[in-house]
Amino acid sequence: MDITVLQNFAANNLWGAIMPEIMLGVLALVLLVIELLFPKQQHQMVPAAALAGLLCVLGNVLATFHNPYVATETFNGLLRHTRDGQIMRIFFLLAAVMVCLLARVSLAKQAMPRVEFYHIVLVVTAGMMLLAQSNNLLLLFVTLETVTIGLYILVSYYRNNSLTLEAGLKYLVMGALSSSLLLFGIVLLYGVAGNAALPGHTAQAMHYGQLASFLAANPHNFLASIGIVLVLSGVAFKIGAFPFQIWVPDVYQGAPTPVTAFLAVSSKAVGFAVLLSLSLTVFASYGWLLMPVLTFFAGATLLFGNVAALTQHNVKRLIGLSGVSHAGFLLLGVAAASRAPMAVGSIYFYLFAYLLASFAVFGVMTHLAGANDTDQELDHYAGLAKANPFLALVLAVGLGSLAGIPPLVGFMGKLFIFISAFQAGLYGLIAVAVIGVVISIYYYFGWIKAAFFETWATSPEAPAKPARTPVDLVTGIALGALALSTVVLGFYQGPLGAWLTPR
Amino acid sequence: MASILFLLFSTLTVLCAVGVVVNKNAVNAAGCLLLCLVGVAGLFVQLDAYLLAFILLLVYAGAVVALFLFIIMLLDVQGRQSFGFSGITTFAGLMAFALLLTGLGTIAVKGHLDAPRLNRLAAEGANLKPYAQQLFTTYLLPVQIIGFLLLIAMLGVIVLSKKHATEEPAK
Repeated sequence: MDITVLQNFAANNLWGAIMPEIMLGVLALVLLVIELLFPKQQHQMVPAAALAGLLCVLGNVLATFHNPYVATETFNGLLRHTRDGQIMRIFFLLAAVMVCLLARVSLAKQAMPRVEFYHIVLVVTAGMMLLAQSNNLLLLFVTLETVTIGLYILVSYYRNNSLTLEAGLKYLVMGALSSSLLLFGIVLLYGVAGNAALPGHTAQAMHYGQLASFLAANPHNFLASIGIVLVLSGVAFKIGAFPFQIWVPDVYQGAPTPVTAFLAVSSKAVGFAVLLSLSLTVFASYGWLLMPVLTFFAGATLLFGNVAALTQHNVKRLIGLSGVSHAGFLLLGVAAASRAPMAVGSIYFYLFAYLLASFAVFGVMTHLAGANDTDQELDHYAGLAKANPFLALVLAVGLGSLAGIPPLVGFMGKLFIFISAFQAGLYGLIAVAVIGVVISIYYYFGWIKAAFFETWATSPEAPAKPARTPVDLVTGIALGALALSTVVLGFYQGPLGAWLTPR
Repeated sequence: MASILFLLFSTLTVLCAVGVVVNKNAVNAAGCLLLCLVGVAGLFVQLDAYLLAFILLLVYAGAVVALFLFIIMLLDVQGRQSFGFSGITTFAGLMAFALLLTGLGTIAVKGHLDAPRLNRLAAEGANLKPYAQQLFTTYLLPVQIIGFLLLIAMLGVIVLSKKHATEEPAK
């Protein structure tokens, strides 16, 4: 290859375009250096440093929201910077801030190393931010593996607990299976698109644009459609959609509570960012295949998640299975996205509503968990309203928003999704979703009932509740802000709503 | 000649892969895995992907499987605890097998593609230089990301395996 060609390739590596991710990577390394240089007594500053750094990066992304890289491709087409990518960057940074805050509370109850946790959270967050902007199947796979391997470690972090180890093992095996499905799909697509006997064949089949034009030239290729289904299945594992949700309850229960929140919010959101960019651009010409697959995923996921959550008593399993049903709602949005112009925006709005409400609930869960993080029963919430009205209020707002009760933001999210599904004409799926909402109100309110109302039939040997952690100032402010914005955004979306749903 | 070699290596690969699953003795299973990888490497050589074949032998067959064997011998797993399959597991396994066979059959029948001529690919797959040039120009970003991946993997191994005595006062 000619040296000038190579120089041109190298010149396209515009590192400025991924400044937030680089800053996160550097911050993660700085945390390790702090651990090396300072004595053990001063390691309390690590979470503070991580939080301060995350807020700086968040400020940087907000300040440079309309930067010149938006709507361009950098790194020779590996990355494509879009407005949606910027929104997802903000989303993952907010989630990482909350995960670090919750980890501070949760790690204090465990005798485990601290610094590595924050380091891995930061690297995984940077990986997710790149994943949401990737424009190439190769980069997609590399970043996805970075995210997944980080999550394997985080899930089994409290390794003294046998349920946590079981969760780690299950997540490892299921993650390996999903990665292999995804990889098989990618290889099939690459192989078919590179075949010189077919029209529109390309040597750069990993690139989304090239692959999309190949698929548009061969709209009914059998091997390509198998590849597409395999890729979708691999992504469906990450978001916990129906036939691939089998790992969700056990892993959510076994993982440390902040990691459960990380899995539920960030990992699911990144799956949807990938699913959206794949289904709207790359696989757009295979609508005949995508629509039935997505419709099946959405309907089955909605029903399964809600029905399975009905009988749960462990709150982590409950919120895991209810998260499956939220994935169903988002899949409904993805199914509508090819026909309804506002569906993409409403998916992002739903994700933000889900972020606010979920972290409010997970924040309360973290404070109520004892030393055994996997043992969080509904019974432990008895009398919460009397003992700690603030936490009970945050819990009620969060759960109400997840259930979609009218003044809260979760209701607006569901409403936007319903409107776009209606525009797309998916009436059957809307009916399924409404049934799902009705079922979900039962278990969410069962939880609220446990926290607010006295139980009369207390058995004499009621199991002992783990000691509740008092709320410290910073976490209290963060939880209060989450609950407040859940309420306020439900009444008034204002510029934020217009900004998220302009289509 | 080429087709005979292809048949030889692919038979070796498939038989050894079956052997990995079927073998009760973990050491023998690891041995089968080794031979399976050698078979795949042979297939790569036939495709002129010498570098891939070499890396497969060096990294997977040489390092990873050797590590497996170390661990198996360290843990002294003798395959005595064989789990009996319950009825429903056997049924699910048979269903999965039937599905897999159907899928493979469908691909074999419907997924036929004319083989492209590979005369141009050979030059790029044969030696190290194009790979290196690509890695340091076009794919520099994934290389950097994999650096971070390896770092967190290493940290993870330390966190998950090192004995963390309660040297920190739990407060």
